[in-house]
Amino acid sequence: MSNHSISVTVNGFKEYLDVPSNMTLLEMLREKLALTGTKNGCAAGECGACTVLVDGEPLNSCMMLAVEANGYEVTTVEGLARPETGQSTEDQLSPLQEAFVEHNAVQCGFCTPGMLISAHALLKRNPHPSEEEIREALVGNLCRCTGYLRIIGAVQAAAKDAPETGTGILKGDVK
Amino acid sequence: MTEFTSEPVGKNVSRVDAYDKVTGAAPFTDDLQFGPGLYYGRLVRSPYAHALIKKVDVSKALAAPGVKAVVTGKETPTRIGLYLKDRYIFALDRVRYVGDAVAGVIATSEEIAQEAAQLVEVEYEELPAVFDPVEAVQPYAPLIHPDLGDYEVVNFIFPEPGTNTSEHFKLRKGDVESAWPRCAVIVEDTFRLPHIEHVPIEPHVAVALWEQSGQVTLWTSSQSPFAQRDLIAQSLSIPHGNLRVVAPYVGGGFGGKAGVSMEACAVAMAQAVKGHPVKLRMTREEEFICTTVRQSLVAHTKIGCDAEGNLLAMETQYYFGGGASNEYGVNIARAAGYSCTGPYNIPNVRGDSYCVYTNLPIGSAMRGFGMPEIHWGIEQIMDQLAEKIGMDAAEFRRRNCVKTGQTILTGMKMTPIDLVACIDKVTEAIGWGEERRGAARPCPAASPRPSALPRSGGFRDSPLTPHKKRGKGIAIMWKAPAMPPNPGSSAIVRFNEDATVNVEIGAQELGQGAFTVAAQVAAQALGVPYEWVRVSAPVDTRYSPYEWQTVASRTTWSMGNAVKAAAEDARRQILEVVAGHWDEDIEDLDIKDGRVISYKSEREQPLKNMVVYGLPNEDFEGWKGGPVVGHGRFMPTYVTNLDPETGQGARAVVHYTVGAQAVDLEVDTETGQIEVLKIASAYDVGKAINPDLVLTQIEGGAVHGMSSAFEALKFDEKGQPLNPSLVDYRIMTSVDVPKEIHGDIVETPLEDGPWGARGVGEHVMVQTAPAIANALNDALGIRFSDLPLSAEKVFLALQEREEEK
Amino acid sequence: MLARPGLPSFDYVAAGTPGEVIRLLEKHGEAARLLMGGTDLFVRMRDGFICPQVVVDVKHLPGMRDILYDERVGLTVGAAVTMNQVARHPDVQAHYPLLAEAANSVASYQLRNRATIGGNLCNGSPAADIGPAALVLEARFVLHGPDPSTGSGQCGEREVEAGEFFLGPGQTALQASEFMTAIRFPVPPAGSAGRYVKLGRNKAGDLSIAGVAVFGFPDGTAPSGYRFRIGLASIAPVVLRPLEAEEVLATSPPGDETFTLAAEKAMEAATPIDDVRASAAYRKAMVRALTLRGLWDVWERMG
Repeated sequence: MSNHSISVTVNGFKEYLDVPSNMTLLEMLREKLALTGTKNGCAAGECGACTVLVDGEPLNSCMMLAVEANGYEVTTVEGLARPETGQSTEDQLSPLQEAFVEHNAVQCGFCTPGMLISAHALLKRNPHPSEEEIREALVGNLCRCTGYLRIIGAVQAAAKDAPETGTGILKGDVK
Repeated sequence: MTEFTSEPVGKNVSRVDAYDKVTGAAPFTDDLQFGPGLYYGRLVRSPYAHALIKKVDVSKALAAPGVKAVVTGKETPTRIGLYLKDRYIFALDRVRYVGDAVAGVIATSEEIAQEAAQLVEVEYEELPAVFDPVEAVQPYAPLIHPDLGDYEVVNFIFPEPGTNTSEHFKLRKGDVESAWPRCAVIVEDTFRLPHIEHVPIEPHVAVALWEQSGQVTLWTSSQSPFAQRDLIAQSLSIPHGNLRVVAPYVGGGFGGKAGVSMEACAVAMAQAVKGHPVKLRMTREEEFICTTVRQSLVAHTKIGCDAEGNLLAMETQYYFGGGASNEYGVNIARAAGYSCTGPYNIPNVRGDSYCVYTNLPIGSAMRGFGMPEIHWGIEQIMDQLAEKIGMDAAEFRRRNCVKTGQTILTGMKMTPIDLVACIDKVTEAIGWGEERRGAARPCPAASPRPSALPRSGGFRDSPLTPHKKRGKGIAIMWKAPAMPPNPGSSAIVRFNEDATVNVEIGAQELGQGAFTVAAQVAAQALGVPYEWVRVSAPVDTRYSPYEWQTVASRTTWSMGNAVKAAAEDARRQILEVVAGHWDEDIEDLDIKDGRVISYKSEREQPLKNMVVYGLPNEDFEGWKGGPVVGHGRFMPTYVTNLDPETGQGARAVVHYTVGAQAVDLEVDTETGQIEVLKIASAYDVGKAINPDLVLTQIEGGAVHGMSSAFEALKFDEKGQPLNPSLVDYRIMTSVDVPKEIHGDIVETPLEDGPWGARGVGEHVMVQTAPAIANALNDALGIRFSDLPLSAEKVFLALQEREEEK
Repeated sequence: MLARPGLPSFDYVAAGTPGEVIRLLEKHGEAARLLMGGTDLFVRMRDGFICPQVVVDVKHLPGMRDILYDERVGLTVGAAVTMNQVARHPDVQAHYPLLAEAANSVASYQLRNRATIGGNLCNGSPAADIGPAALVLEARFVLHGPDPSTGSGQCGEREVEAGEFFLGPGQTALQASEFMTAIRFPVPPAGSAGRYVKLGRNKAGDLSIAGVAVFGFPDGTAPSGYRFRIGLASIAPVVLRPLEAEEVLATSPPGDETFTLAAEKAMEAATPIDDVRASAAYRKAMVRALTLRGLWDVWERMG
């Protein structure tokens, strides 16, 4: 099995790593970088607990090899609290995270990182989504605790405050 | 801290764990870091549903580079079990279901362990297998536990050696035989439920470290750290004090992480590689069939009422498909037995509830603990009876539902509840009486239809098209915590110098809000702001005070009582010191917002510092007080045994929580697809410590209940699982859930609950499936007695009815 | 038996040229697999069905990620274009909305950022959501492989019609050492409209129990004045067009009776199996129901 030297920008930091061919991006994040916010729920692209942003687009990190991430920008839940622009203090929650807290959209918390990533990406490409659009955007994020309504409500609440960014066009290549 | 909530009980304060969970900082077991010495385990599993183990050859696996040890049943020859010790940690002489663990391989990486597990060679002799519980009780059925008579069992479970029956609960009240002739209407039916699974988003995971000193630590996603310690210590002969269980946040439990499943394997494997932690993780596929599942059920029920619609008699038999091991399932069969009337007042009852071994995955506790299984039939047969006697389904329930003080089927008096209020709330919220049966219009031949706006592949016809039929259904429920008679909770309350509070409990945060409730209770009972209270986590049996288990919806009540007692103990200690310091009567003192105040002299003493350092006497001539540590416990003392022949006893259970649900749905008769438009729920919780958290349980439970109506684990004729993955075991997604879930809270206080509170975490999903079935019947006039429901089942039933015409 | 926790070992190669891909395929044969989105490959590797020694990433070959529209020639989609890219491309939405709808019906948003149009087709699954769309839009697939006329080392291109591509469950017209580089969709007839109707166990995000693509357009050469093309998924060993149904629609006047008869004919063409997702009986019945819905939708939108 081959090993590959890659460089990936994760949450704004450039990381240089050696990864085996068969290591997934999920395993790389959790095992090489100890970024354990992104979760392993099924390793099959079904539950969405492993969702991260790659160049701004959400995908299941269990369905991508670490070596494929070479040269890209990855954002995990740990990177959400730091706004991309603006000079807010570190560790401040994003409006979406705040909304999740306020709406009690969190119970066991295991699906939460993936939900936040998917919702964050939705609001970037569609700042004022309809309820149906929110539901569809989150169909790949399974939750067993909340029944989803609070999560949908939290996204709607955050959408009201979302700035007018996002044009619906991809930021970069999609893998 | 600028936020400041006084007297938080009854208020919608923020969860204590929300911040950590939205930042990804909350640690779950697989997130813990163990350093380069960490080994990984993978299990070798049986490909047969029932077979003798003739030989296990681990030599090739041991020889593989990176493999450190292999553990088999020979290393774990002592049986384990909660109520009935019927299981080996690794199968010893035989395997009893496809997936049964036969060996554990420990290696330096999960990949190496996985490869090496394929090298373990096991010689099996296949045995005939049985999968249906009714088949399994027949005399000709293959015997799955020939040594049943030798198994250690608690004194309230009655296995039948020489058979596959691990528990038989008998309920005999009044005289059903004399009651049938007095019934104006009798209905009889059989109801079937398949196995389903909890599907927590976090799969089971355990890390175990067995040190050379004999100290053993188990880190695991667990609802029951103390029970796990107890059972594993016994089975592996570890002194209790040497086994430490650490339980970080649980990513969904639902009963699947109660008791012991794969955790014991991790500990047994750690014993083979002393000094190295061993991590054992379940894949999602293993999660489906190799941890635990909900038991299947075949229920035969007959009920009758008089001409006024008063229930007179019920006769029922439950055959629970308990799977390969019934160590937890026996109590489910028992609980079902002593609950078999459902929340109804029925004077004559004959019930027999059997837990039966089958060669399928291990049946165990799942949210509701037998109640969802039995209410599936009960709530439908009640509807059938109401229809036959010509009574509205809601009215029938108002008339017959159990009321406070009535003698229930076990001879106990019903604890204070208001089920009629719950029924009233949901019938109002769902618009009961409007559009029942009125909206069922005949489906015309295909005719031009309004253009549906195309979207991504789904159906979005407008609601009032003629091929859609609308229906409403109602269902009620009851449940008592199903526990041994003496399950205890304890708590400790300590202070930091700045008067912030640490609450130590053994109850676990599964997402239901246990930690938040503990903080609210402690804050209120102490008299400090909610924001000053922290709940010490993770739960750690070395430091946390004992908690029986986080199950049975007992936590708010039992843990809450213990925390309240501990906080009141701390409060007493503080007031004693200040009373002495001020030379005042303790009766005139109080603690409010973190300050001791005197109603008499109006003096104030902030808690800061004094809760650790005490208070100096005048002119510093000595000191009073010192570090304040409050402790408290709670254990019910009034539960009695039940007569093994009749199930009668003075006090079968601690208390009941009751509730009602109504469902409004629409069926697309052209495809059979069911769209649930609205679910209305109301539960009598005694006192909502945090009303919004109760509502989140109601919402999550309604969806879980709805999903459970459509879920089924499927097996072929050899017991091989057909859908152990999320691709083919579908659960509700964000797109499937109704637009509206309406929740109402009723509060009839519980005498011995903290501020009157009792639990609701399981109750919220118990009756959703039959409520949906009742709504389907309302819409279509077809009764579905067997789960799972599906669009296909509905469509084919409609088609069959068309053909019969 | 049960799926492994992670992927098995393999070597990963990011191919730079088509020639490199073919050389690797020729060298390793069955022991090499192509990687585009991986959404199918990774699952099957975990399940133990596929155990390649070499995984060749072809996503970054020239053209594989491009979408080009020319109003005279039609649409050319690189095989490695993702479902999301297909679904939101303005030219696809404007001129091939049926294709956008089909792409958008696949799985979840996250998976659609990995799943590729070429991968969906090359797996040869009878459930492939792009299959029916490709059939009714009469797409042609561009396959790259060793050029037999020049001997090993040289490679060439050939086109296969969508209708000839699907041979059986998991079997396509791809020869050994061939791979798909692009899908070409001809310019759609004037006044056409299309709809992809998909039925799954969940309201969205599921594999299809039955999938029906309906594509209609005015055509003076047809006795009825219209032609409809129908593509069916998950109801036979391959995605297919029920030609008898299409014949009915071309010859009889559009309306209740014709559409109903066509839906019946479509149902007759379906030969589904019972599986863990649905029964054959239900699938057949749903072909009829979905075809009828699709026909009415398309008819309404053709005005």
